[in-house]
Amino acid sequence: MRMNKINQINVKNVNLHYAAAAYKERSLKSLMANIFSKKETNNHVADIHALKNINVQIVSGERVGLLGHNGAGKSTFLKTVAGLYPISSGELKVQGQVRSLFDLSLGFEPDATGRENILYRGLLLGLSPKFMREKIDEIVEFADLGEFIDYPIKTYSAGMQVRLAFAISTTVGGDILLLDEVIGAGDANFMAKAKVRISSLIEKAEILVLASHDFGALQSICTRGLVFHHGELLFDGEITDAIAEYKKINGLADAN
Amino acid sequence: MFSYFSRVWAARYFWVHLALADLRSRWRRSFFGVTWSIIQPLGMTVLLTLVFSKLFNTDVLTYAPYVLSGIVVWEFISANTIGGSLSFVQADAYIKQCNHPLAIYTLRTVLGSSIVLMLASVSLYLWVAIMMPQNFGWSWLATLTIFPVVALIAWPVSTLLSYISTRFRDVPHALGLVMQSLWFVSPVYFEAKMFQNGGLHALVDYNPIYHILQLFRAPLLQGEWPTLSNYAFSLGTALFFGLIAIYVGYKAERKVIFYL
Repeated sequence: MRMNKINQINVKNVNLHYAAAAYKERSLKSLMANIFSKKETNNHVADIHALKNINVQIVSGERVGLLGHNGAGKSTFLKTVAGLYPISSGELKVQGQVRSLFDLSLGFEPDATGRENILYRGLLLGLSPKFMREKIDEIVEFADLGEFIDYPIKTYSAGMQVRLAFAISTTVGGDILLLDEVIGAGDANFMAKAKVRISSLIEKAEILVLASHDFGALQSICTRGLVFHHGELLFDGEITDAIAEYKKINGLADAN
Repeated sequence: MFSYFSRVWAARYFWVHLALADLRSRWRRSFFGVTWSIIQPLGMTVLLTLVFSKLFNTDVLTYAPYVLSGIVVWEFISANTIGGSLSFVQADAYIKQCNHPLAIYTLRTVLGSSIVLMLASVSLYLWVAIMMPQNFGWSWLATLTIFPVVALIAWPVSTLLSYISTRFRDVPHALGLVMQSLWFVSPVYFEAKMFQNGGLHALVDYNPIYHILQLFRAPLLQGEWPTLSNYAFSLGTALFFGLIAIYVGYKAERKVIFYL
């Protein structure tokens, strides 16, 4: 299709700081609390250095898993690649259409039906109504919600919402797919379908970056693993080695 | 700059959808639905006219459309300032997920309130056409220019206020007060000649709100074309806020996500 276009993510010496002012509580209540607080560490909020000198290059066809403890920088990395966070220094080059799945329920209108919401979600992703009408049957079929597709979203269970959102986001496609902890939702039946869908996405030589704590999913989907630890990239290599490294760093006993 | 506006254009389906969704949720499950946008200002006009025409000794027939034009335009102004300042805060879920230009979230407010303004003006046109048919003429075409003109002012103003309110959350609360005082010194319900008779010419002559309202009032109430200075002041206001909004957006757009 797009033979001459090379999809890639190029991250060079990237640093990212969260502006501390944004997190400082400036209310009277917290001011009083700070005066009487004995902890000195609470009184000063420094800029959070969320990504420290990250160097990564991801090329077309790669499936990359992100590992790390909570707050290690996985999500920040994904959101930086998605172009949501401004980097403080370094160079970030992303070539290709990025599709991200961070919050699946985003863009759903609770009072509208599933079918209407497919259109709305597509518009959120920057697609035209015409394109969405062409895709709608494929999405309905994959989501497999039966008659519920014509019911308002507010009658859906959390799992059903996930199915619909996943069906939409993976059907509309994109060159680079960024997933944050979304694999875990949905029942076993749907999980199997989702994995098949992801592997078929990858076969189209697209890039997948997945942040997860589910080693099984990571091992079956990804080939390369990046281990984050307190904002630093500590390991970049084979996914099995990455999982071992992650366990070592975090002092987890190996299951074997 | 140009690429920024082309990104806004590329996301048009999304912000148009958001604006329409706002309107849908506003009228959902109400019996009168859309017609509330027409009934509400009309009812308000009847009440105000009854009181004010007695108070100021003015003719009901001409004063009522004056008040009505003030109400519908003021409704638009406050929707885009007090309401518009929350545009980024309300859209935080979208901003944290999708890399759309932030100006589309204020464009959503502008579009939604423009539609309400158009609907609400229908009753104004009807009233004047029936009660003051002598004013009907080509100059009425000029009234159509009010819609793009107010949108051109409201977009940068609400964008600017959104940037400030995202950083300083007290601003939306303070804005209520500011707008109330702005209303008080503008010929929205009070007639312009009351200010002029009271020696307060400046409040009329240099007040963009007066000039915007003249785009409606000159043709409909006097059967005259709006003056060149009405347009100059309105478009000058748009340009003034436009330049500031572009500068602030250029400096602050990328940092907004940290403050949500």
